[in-house]
Amino acid sequence: MSANTVDEAIERALEAYARLTERAEEIEDEWSYVNDLSSAWRDRLALVPGSSAGGPLDPAIDAAIDRLIDEADRITDPHRAIDWLSTFPQVALLALGETP
Amino acid sequence: MRFQDAARDGRAIVYAGIQADPLVKRAAMLLAEATPAQRVLARAVMNGETTEPMGWIEMFPTLLGGSVPAGPERARSEALLGASLEVAERGEQVRSQFRGAIVEELTAILLARRVGDAGVRRERRILFDGVRTEIHPYDVTVEREGAAEAYDCKWGARGINDDVLHQLDDARGHAAEEDETLRVALVVFDAERSCEVRLERQYAPRDGTAIVALESLDRLSAGGPGAPGAP
Repeated sequence: MSANTVDEAIERALEAYARLTERAEEIEDEWSYVNDLSSAWRDRLALVPGSSAGGPLDPAIDAAIDRLIDEADRITDPHRAIDWLSTFPQVALLALGETP
Repeated sequence: MRFQDAARDGRAIVYAGIQADPLVKRAAMLLAEATPAQRVLARAVMNGETTEPMGWIEMFPTLLGGSVPAGPERARSEALLGASLEVAERGEQVRSQFRGAIVEELTAILLARRVGDAGVRRERRILFDGVRTEIHPYDVTVEREGAAEAYDCKWGARGINDDVLHQLDDARGHAAEEDETLRVALVVFDAERSCEVRLERQYAPRDGTAIVALESLDRLSAGGPGAPGAP
Protein backbone atom coordinates (compact mmCIF):
# COMPACT_ATOMS: atom_id res chain seq x y z
CA MET A 1 0.00 0.00 0.00
CA SER A 2 1.35 3.39 -0.89
CA ALA A 3 1.64 6.34 1.43
CA ASN A 4 -0.40 9.35 0.45
CA THR A 5 1.15 12.12 2.51
CA VAL A 6 4.71 13.37 2.83
CA ASP A 7 4.71 12.34 6.50
CA GLU A 8 3.68 8.78 5.69
CA ALA A 9 6.17 8.50 2.86
CA ILE A 10 9.02 9.59 5.11
CA GLU A 11 7.86 7.26 7.87
CA ARG A 12 7.87 4.32 5.47
CA ALA A 13 11.26 5.36 4.14
CA LEU A 14 12.70 5.56 7.65
CA GLU A 15 11.37 2.09 8.48
CA ALA A 16 13.11 0.71 5.39
CA TYR A 17 16.22 2.69 6.29
CA ALA A 18 16.24 1.04 9.72
CA ARG A 19 16.16 -2.38 8.04
CA LEU A 20 19.03 -1.33 5.78
CA THR A 21 20.98 -0.14 8.82
CA GLU A 22 20.49 -3.53 10.49
CA ARG A 23 21.97 -5.29 7.47
CA ALA A 24 24.91 -2.88 7.36
CA GLU A 25 25.59 -3.48 11.06
CA GLU A 26 26.63 -7.04 10.18
CA ILE A 27 30.05 -5.57 9.33
CA GLU A 28 31.20 -5.31 12.93
CA ASP A 29 34.28 -3.20 12.19
CA GLU A 30 32.01 -0.51 10.74
CA TRP A 31 29.32 -0.61 13.42
CA SER A 32 30.00 2.89 14.74
CA TYR A 33 30.36 4.40 11.28
CA VAL A 34 27.15 2.71 10.14
CA ASN A 35 25.19 4.15 13.04
CA ASP A 36 26.71 7.62 12.75
CA LEU A 37 25.92 7.62 9.04
CA SER A 38 22.40 6.39 9.61
CA SER A 39 21.82 9.00 12.29
CA ALA A 40 23.13 11.84 10.11
CA TRP A 41 20.83 10.99 7.23
CA ARG A 42 17.83 10.38 9.49
CA ASP A 43 18.33 13.88 10.82
CA ARG A 44 18.38 15.21 7.26
CA LEU A 45 15.20 13.38 6.27
CA ALA A 46 13.46 14.78 9.33
CA LEU A 47 14.12 18.29 8.02
CA VAL A 48 12.11 17.84 4.83
CA PRO A 49 9.73 20.80 4.60
CA GLY A 50 6.10 19.91 4.52
CA SER A 51 6.57 16.72 6.46
CA SER A 52 4.77 18.27 9.41
CA ALA A 53 2.02 19.69 7.23
CA GLY A 54 0.91 16.23 6.12
CA GLY A 55 -0.16 17.43 2.70
CA PRO A 56 -1.07 15.09 -0.15
CA LEU A 57 1.75 13.55 -2.08
CA ASP A 58 2.10 13.47 -5.86
CA PRO A 59 1.39 9.84 -6.92
CA ALA A 60 4.65 9.72 -8.91
CA ILE A 61 6.63 10.68 -5.81
CA ASP A 62 4.68 8.20 -3.72
CA ALA A 63 5.49 5.46 -6.22
CA ALA A 64 9.16 6.52 -6.29
CA ILE A 65 9.45 6.12 -2.52
CA ASP A 66 7.78 2.73 -2.66
CA ARG A 67 10.12 1.63 -5.43
CA LEU A 68 13.14 2.90 -3.47
CA ILE A 69 12.03 0.92 -0.42
CA ASP A 70 11.63 -2.18 -2.57
CA GLU A 71 15.16 -1.72 -3.94
CA ALA A 72 16.65 -1.29 -0.48
CA ASP A 73 14.84 -4.38 0.81
CA ARG A 74 16.44 -6.43 -1.99
CA ILE A 75 19.93 -5.70 -0.69
CA THR A 76 21.32 -8.63 1.26
CA ASP A 77 25.05 -7.92 1.10
CA PRO A 78 26.03 -5.88 4.18
CA HIS A 79 28.81 -4.08 2.30
CA ARG A 80 26.36 -2.90 -0.30
CA ALA A 81 23.98 -1.98 2.51
CA ILE A 82 26.64 0.36 3.93
CA ASP A 83 27.00 2.04 0.54
CA TRP A 84 23.22 2.34 0.27
CA LEU A 85 22.97 3.98 3.67
CA SER A 86 24.29 6.98 1.79
CA THR A 87 22.49 6.38 -1.51
CA PHE A 88 19.01 5.68 -0.11
CA PRO A 89 18.41 9.06 1.54
CA GLN A 90 19.84 10.93 -1.43
CA VAL A 91 17.39 9.22 -3.76
CA ALA A 92 14.52 9.78 -1.32
CA LEU A 93 15.33 13.47 -1.00
CA LEU A 94 15.54 13.92 -4.77
CA ALA A 95 12.16 12.23 -5.19
CA LEU A 96 10.71 14.62 -2.63
CA GLY A 97 12.11 17.60 -4.52
CA GLU A 98 14.88 18.24 -2.02
CA THR A 99 18.62 18.74 -2.42
CA PRO A 100 20.50 16.00 -0.56
CA MET B 1 59.71 16.60 -6.60
CA ARG B 2 59.25 14.53 -9.71
CA PHE B 3 56.59 12.24 -11.18
CA GLN B 4 57.02 8.70 -12.41
CA ASP B 5 54.82 6.04 -13.98
CA ALA B 6 53.68 3.37 -11.54
CA ALA B 7 55.15 -0.11 -11.84
CA ARG B 8 53.21 -2.34 -14.24
CA ASP B 9 52.52 -5.27 -11.96
CA GLY B 10 49.80 -7.86 -12.55
CA ARG B 11 47.11 -5.87 -10.81
CA ALA B 12 47.96 -2.76 -12.78
CA ILE B 13 47.80 -4.63 -16.09
CA VAL B 14 44.38 -6.10 -15.32
CA TYR B 15 43.09 -2.75 -14.10
CA ALA B 16 44.48 -1.00 -17.18
CA GLY B 17 42.21 -3.22 -19.26
CA ILE B 18 39.20 -2.00 -17.31
CA GLN B 19 40.33 1.62 -17.55
CA ALA B 20 40.53 1.22 -21.33
CA ASP B 21 37.02 -0.25 -21.67
CA PRO B 22 34.89 2.12 -23.81
CA LEU B 23 32.09 1.92 -21.23
CA VAL B 24 34.32 3.65 -18.66
CA LYS B 25 34.98 6.58 -20.98
CA ARG B 26 31.33 6.82 -22.07
CA ALA B 27 29.98 6.81 -18.53
CA ALA B 28 32.58 9.31 -17.35
CA MET B 29 31.85 11.69 -20.22
CA LEU B 30 28.13 11.58 -19.42
CA LEU B 31 28.87 12.18 -15.73
CA ALA B 32 31.09 15.13 -16.56
CA GLU B 33 28.07 16.87 -18.10
CA ALA B 34 25.61 15.65 -15.49
CA THR B 35 23.78 17.51 -12.75
CA PRO B 36 24.26 16.38 -9.13
CA ALA B 37 20.89 14.62 -9.28
CA GLN B 38 21.92 12.71 -12.40
CA ARG B 39 25.14 11.71 -10.64
CA VAL B 40 23.05 10.31 -7.76
CA LEU B 41 21.05 8.32 -10.33
CA ALA B 42 24.26 6.81 -11.71
CA ARG B 43 25.52 6.09 -8.19
CA ALA B 44 22.33 4.24 -7.26
CA VAL B 45 22.08 2.20 -10.45
CA MET B 46 25.75 1.19 -10.60
CA ASN B 47 25.53 -0.29 -7.11
CA GLY B 48 21.91 -1.37 -7.15
CA GLU B 49 20.25 -4.77 -7.24
CA THR B 50 17.73 -4.14 -10.00
CA THR B 51 19.02 -4.30 -13.55
CA GLU B 52 15.77 -3.59 -15.38
CA PRO B 53 15.25 0.06 -16.27
CA MET B 54 11.58 0.53 -15.33
CA GLY B 55 12.26 0.34 -11.62
CA TRP B 56 14.83 3.11 -11.85
CA ILE B 57 12.63 5.23 -14.10
CA GLU B 58 9.93 5.03 -11.45
CA MET B 59 12.42 5.78 -8.66
CA PHE B 60 13.64 9.03 -10.27
CA PRO B 61 10.49 10.88 -11.34
CA THR B 62 12.25 14.26 -11.45
CA LEU B 63 14.75 12.94 -14.02
CA LEU B 64 12.91 10.23 -15.94
CA GLY B 65 9.22 10.63 -15.09
CA GLY B 66 6.42 11.34 -17.52
CA SER B 67 6.38 15.02 -16.65
CA VAL B 68 10.00 15.54 -17.69
CA PRO B 69 10.01 16.95 -21.22
CA ALA B 70 12.09 15.55 -24.04
CA GLY B 71 15.33 17.42 -24.48
CA PRO B 72 19.03 17.30 -23.63
CA GLU B 73 18.53 16.88 -19.87
CA ARG B 74 16.17 13.95 -20.20
CA ALA B 75 18.34 12.42 -22.93
CA ARG B 76 21.36 12.61 -20.63
CA SER B 77 19.40 11.00 -17.79
CA GLU B 78 18.36 8.18 -20.10
CA ALA B 79 21.90 7.72 -21.43
CA LEU B 80 23.28 7.68 -17.88
CA LEU B 81 20.71 5.10 -16.86
CA GLY B 82 21.70 2.92 -19.80
CA ALA B 83 25.45 3.20 -19.14
CA SER B 84 24.98 2.63 -15.41
CA LEU B 85 22.90 -0.50 -16.04
CA GLU B 86 25.69 -1.80 -18.28
CA VAL B 87 28.07 -1.36 -15.35
CA ALA B 88 25.66 -3.05 -12.95
CA GLU B 89 25.29 -6.04 -15.26
CA ARG B 90 29.02 -6.80 -15.15
CA GLY B 91 28.80 -8.74 -11.88
CA GLU B 92 29.79 -7.76 -8.39
CA GLN B 93 33.59 -7.84 -8.50
CA VAL B 94 33.99 -6.44 -11.99
CA ARG B 95 31.49 -3.64 -11.52
CA SER B 96 33.32 -2.55 -8.40
CA GLN B 97 36.45 -2.08 -10.52
CA PHE B 98 34.45 -0.31 -13.21
CA ARG B 99 33.00 2.11 -10.68
CA GLY B 100 36.46 3.03 -9.45
CA ALA B 101 37.78 3.46 -12.98
CA ILE B 102 34.80 5.66 -13.89
CA VAL B 103 35.38 8.00 -10.93
CA GLU B 104 39.05 8.32 -11.92
CA GLU B 105 38.18 8.98 -15.56
CA LEU B 106 35.56 11.54 -14.54
CA THR B 107 38.15 13.29 -12.37
CA ALA B 108 40.62 13.35 -15.27
CA ILE B 109 38.02 14.75 -17.68
CA LEU B 110 36.99 17.53 -15.30
CA LEU B 111 40.60 18.46 -14.56
CA ALA B 112 41.50 18.49 -18.27
CA ARG B 113 38.88 21.18 -18.84
CA ARG B 114 40.95 23.45 -16.61
CA VAL B 115 44.52 22.48 -17.44
CA GLY B 116 44.28 20.70 -20.81
CA ASP B 117 44.64 17.02 -21.63
CA ALA B 118 48.44 17.11 -21.68
CA GLY B 119 48.67 18.21 -18.06
CA VAL B 120 46.61 15.36 -16.64
CA ARG B 121 48.26 11.99 -15.96
CA ARG B 122 47.08 8.71 -14.44
CA GLU B 123 48.61 6.16 -12.04
CA ARG B 124 51.67 8.21 -11.18
CA ARG B 125 54.07 8.13 -8.26
CA ILE B 126 55.58 11.25 -6.81
CA LEU B 127 59.21 11.07 -5.79
CA PHE B 128 60.96 13.31 -3.26
CA ASP B 129 64.65 13.47 -2.43
CA GLY B 130 65.52 11.30 0.54
CA VAL B 131 61.99 9.97 0.98
CA ARG B 132 61.00 6.36 0.39
CA THR B 133 58.55 6.09 -2.48
CA GLU B 134 54.94 5.26 -1.61
CA ILE B 135 53.80 1.88 -2.92
CA HIS B 136 50.48 3.09 -4.25
CA PRO B 137 50.43 5.56 -7.12
CA TYR B 138 48.11 8.55 -7.19
CA ASP B 139 45.03 7.97 -9.32
CA VAL B 140 45.23 11.28 -11.15
CA THR B 141 47.88 13.99 -11.19
CA VAL B 142 48.19 17.42 -12.73
CA GLU B 143 51.81 17.94 -13.65
CA ARG B 144 52.60 21.59 -14.23
CA GLU B 145 55.65 23.56 -13.19
CA GLY B 146 54.86 25.30 -9.92
CA ALA B 147 51.23 24.16 -9.86
CA ALA B 148 51.16 20.40 -9.40
CA GLU B 149 48.14 18.55 -8.02
CA ALA B 150 47.58 14.98 -6.83
CA TYR B 151 44.25 13.19 -6.48
CA ASP B 152 43.05 9.93 -5.08
CA CYS B 153 39.56 8.85 -6.06
CA LYS B 154 36.98 6.85 -4.12
CA TRP B 155 33.59 5.50 -5.08
CA GLY B 156 32.10 5.99 -1.63
CA ALA B 157 32.71 7.73 1.67
CA ARG B 158 33.66 4.40 3.20
CA GLY B 159 36.80 4.51 1.07
CA ILE B 160 38.09 7.43 3.11
CA ASN B 161 40.67 6.17 5.59
CA ASP B 162 43.73 7.32 7.49
CA ASP B 163 46.15 5.65 5.07
CA VAL B 164 44.98 7.62 2.05
CA LEU B 165 44.74 10.86 4.03
CA HIS B 166 48.28 10.35 5.36
CA GLN B 167 49.64 9.63 1.89
CA LEU B 168 48.13 12.80 0.45
CA ASP B 169 49.21 14.95 3.37
CA ASP B 170 52.71 13.48 3.39
CA ALA B 171 53.11 14.25 -0.31
CA ARG B 172 51.98 17.83 0.23
CA GLY B 173 54.39 18.19 3.15
CA HIS B 174 57.35 16.70 1.31
CA ALA B 175 56.71 19.03 -1.61
CA ALA B 176 56.70 22.00 0.75
CA GLU B 177 60.04 20.85 2.17
CA GLU B 178 61.40 21.13 -1.38
CA ASP B 179 59.81 24.57 -1.77
CA GLU B 180 57.34 23.11 -4.27
CA THR B 181 53.59 23.53 -4.28
CA LEU B 182 51.53 20.35 -4.47
CA ARG B 183 47.78 20.69 -3.97
CA VAL B 184 46.21 17.43 -2.87
CA ALA B 185 42.62 16.25 -2.82
CA LEU B 186 40.44 13.21 -2.32
CA VAL B 187 37.64 12.90 -4.84
CA VAL B 188 34.69 10.95 -3.45
CA PHE B 189 31.70 10.03 -5.60
CA ASP B 190 29.42 10.26 -2.60
CA ALA B 191 27.47 12.89 -0.71
CA GLU B 192 29.31 15.50 1.30
CA ARG B 193 27.26 14.57 4.37
CA SER B 194 28.48 10.97 4.21
CA CYS B 195 32.06 12.13 3.71
CA GLU B 196 31.82 14.33 6.80
CA VAL B 197 30.60 11.42 8.90
CA ARG B 198 33.46 9.25 7.69
CA LEU B 199 36.04 11.99 8.24
CA GLU B 200 34.96 12.39 11.85
CA ARG B 201 36.34 8.91 12.50
CA GLN B 202 39.77 9.55 10.94
CA TYR B 203 42.82 10.80 12.77
CA ALA B 204 45.20 11.59 9.91
CA PRO B 205 45.94 15.28 9.24
CA ARG B 206 43.66 16.66 6.56
CA ASP B 207 43.73 20.44 6.89
CA GLY B 208 45.73 20.66 3.67
CA THR B 209 43.67 18.08 1.80
CA ALA B 210 40.55 19.05 -0.09
CA ILE B 211 37.62 16.66 -0.06
CA VAL B 212 35.73 16.89 -3.34
CA ALA B 213 32.34 15.26 -2.88
CA LEU B 214 29.68 14.42 -5.45
CA GLU B 215 27.95 17.79 -5.12
CA SER B 216 31.12 19.76 -5.79
CA LEU B 217 32.82 17.75 -8.54
CA ASP B 218 32.57 20.63 -10.98
CA ARG B 219 35.03 22.57 -8.83
CA LEU B 220 37.71 20.38 -10.37
CA SER B 221 37.26 22.07 -13.70
CA ALA B 222 36.26 25.48 -12.44
CA GLY B 223 39.08 26.43 -10.16
CA GLY B 224 40.97 23.67 -8.50
CA PRO B 225 40.25 21.24 -5.75
CA GLY B 226 39.41 23.85 -3.15
CA ALA B 227 42.34 23.08 -0.90
CA PRO B 228 43.59 25.88 1.31
CA GLY B 229 45.47 28.33 -0.85
CA ALA B 230 43.71 27.23 -4.02
CA PRO B 231 42.49 29.96 -6.34
